[in-house]
Amino acid sequence: MAHCERASKPLLQCLQKTYTKGLPALQLQSTRAFQSTALAREEAQAEAKSVPFHKAPDPALVTNPQLERRLLRQGIAPIGSRRRRAALQNSSNIPFEQLPYQCFQEARKVLVADRDDKLRDITAMSEKIARLQAVPTEEAGGEQVKKSKLRAMEVHLEHLKILADINDPLVKKKFEDGQGDLSKPIYRYLSDRKWREYRRKILVQRITQMKVIPDVLPHCDPIVDTKLYFNRNQIQPGEFVNAQVSTTAPKLDVQLFEGGEKLVTIAVVDSDVPNVEKDGFDFKMHYLAVNVPISATSTKVDLSQLSADSQVVLPWLPPVAQKGSPYHRLSLFILEQKDSKPLDFAAVKAKETERDNLLPRTLQARYHLKAIGAHLFRSQWDETTYEVMKEIGFPEADMELRRKRVEPLPYKRRNPSTFR
Amino acid sequence: MRPLSPVLASLANVFRIPITRAPVRPTLTNEILKSTSPRSFSTTSALSKRKEGYRGDRRILLIRYFLHHPLTPRPLRFSRTRFLRHWTIHRAWNLYQANQRRTHELELQRQWQSMQAACEELRTGAGDGGKLFRKSMIKTGVFRDLVPIEYARLQTEGPGREGWNHEWKRD
Repeated sequence: MAHCERASKPLLQCLQKTYTKGLPALQLQSTRAFQSTALAREEAQAEAKSVPFHKAPDPALVTNPQLERRLLRQGIAPIGSRRRRAALQNSSNIPFEQLPYQCFQEARKVLVADRDDKLRDITAMSEKIARLQAVPTEEAGGEQVKKSKLRAMEVHLEHLKILADINDPLVKKKFEDGQGDLSKPIYRYLSDRKWREYRRKILVQRITQMKVIPDVLPHCDPIVDTKLYFNRNQIQPGEFVNAQVSTTAPKLDVQLFEGGEKLVTIAVVDSDVPNVEKDGFDFKMHYLAVNVPISATSTKVDLSQLSADSQVVLPWLPPVAQKGSPYHRLSLFILEQKDSKPLDFAAVKAKETERDNLLPRTLQARYHLKAIGAHLFRSQWDETTYEVMKEIGFPEADMELRRKRVEPLPYKRRNPSTFR
Repeated sequence: MRPLSPVLASLANVFRIPITRAPVRPTLTNEILKSTSPRSFSTTSALSKRKEGYRGDRRILLIRYFLHHPLTPRPLRFSRTRFLRHWTIHRAWNLYQANQRRTHELELQRQWQSMQAACEELRTGAGDGGKLFRKSMIKTGVFRDLVPIEYARLQTEGPGREGWNHEWKRD
């Protein structure tokens, strides 16, 4: 847009002057070998020069409304505001690291020196670990000592890896943009911190307030971020889910914040099945799958897509709540298998055939599982429940539960004889 | 005396005629009005008597007043890259300070350890069975036989105007 360019021109001119003055004085030092943003930008410009701009407009630079519209028709949205794009047109695209501000450059020098220190520490520590591993167990002072030493050193090494990168502004920027590569420890650390700041607190609050924790499992310290989707709609922990919606198995997004792969068992339990004879509540297992691989980079788990002959022990059973029964808590647990070893699927399948009263505590004890993640949703009687019940052949679909009237104790009666 | 009508008063003002009013004798109506007005007897101020209930914390009111006052400068807002640069500088400064603290601590530790080593050397290496060491470690009178009180002056950056008090004598 013409006036836009005109408005930003004086500012840009004076900026450009400082840039051209400041640039030669700067050493073009690239701190990291894998910084390739500047290069990519230059390449893009070189390509654009060969074709006229109006033929192939750049979404980061286009300001003409016609060209913008054409881009939009192609399905490419222009990047940023029009004012920003106009400003970028005349700017010499200096990469962030080389911005000519003295204090900033001094600060970067300090940070780069620190990073070099940390890298040296990392190589030293990994060499030390290798040396200790080469030493035979007797010389190292017994197996237990060697193991604990190695463990401590590895923890320290991980810590150093994070410290090396935590002060990098580009790492911060990438993480904030959601472009962090979770195979790298620094991004895993940052996303873990972010998760613990809010989402994990909410989850823990919900599962403790709704008493899932002492009722279903005695203890759970979530270390994986779990998101639950029914038909692409994310369900917050503890939300009420319509019976029609929950007929299909949910999709999970299980974010692991550690390196390596883990094999987990996924169990969905209803802990509020009313039992009229007992005048109490029973458990019911709605889903059980074993040997599900999760890692920091492959997070998506579709419960309906898991293989029926090697993973799914009990397929998805749509949760329904009878009319008049209090809401049902359906808690989902991600249970880590011991040493990430696969369980014997055939044996598990042969053993766990009964859905009713299959307690997660039993499973945990039987297969040495450890709860590393949890999620929770609730279901109650709604207008679609009846159809779902008929679909799945629920035995007492027409029955409505009623609370038994409790006769008040004589001294609690409203108008006893002593009052008269 | 009746008060002048407004027309007369303005005319008097124009022609600069001084109007002196005789002190008005208190009339009955004035007396009645004064006695019936509640203000003259009440000791509570009118504001506190008003029945509007609790109007909030005064401190919060003041904070809000000054925060939203037009003379208060706007909050500091940075653009993305500006903020990242700020963050970079902040981190570098923190790192620098932490390094300084660490070197200082290490220096103190080194000094303490060398002192310890010297004492140990005195105890074992002097060849007198540690007598010198034991003598030097006796703490009796440490808090009684202090330096003369005249030496206890405030620590200053530079030397005093007269460098040495030559006239001073212990008495």
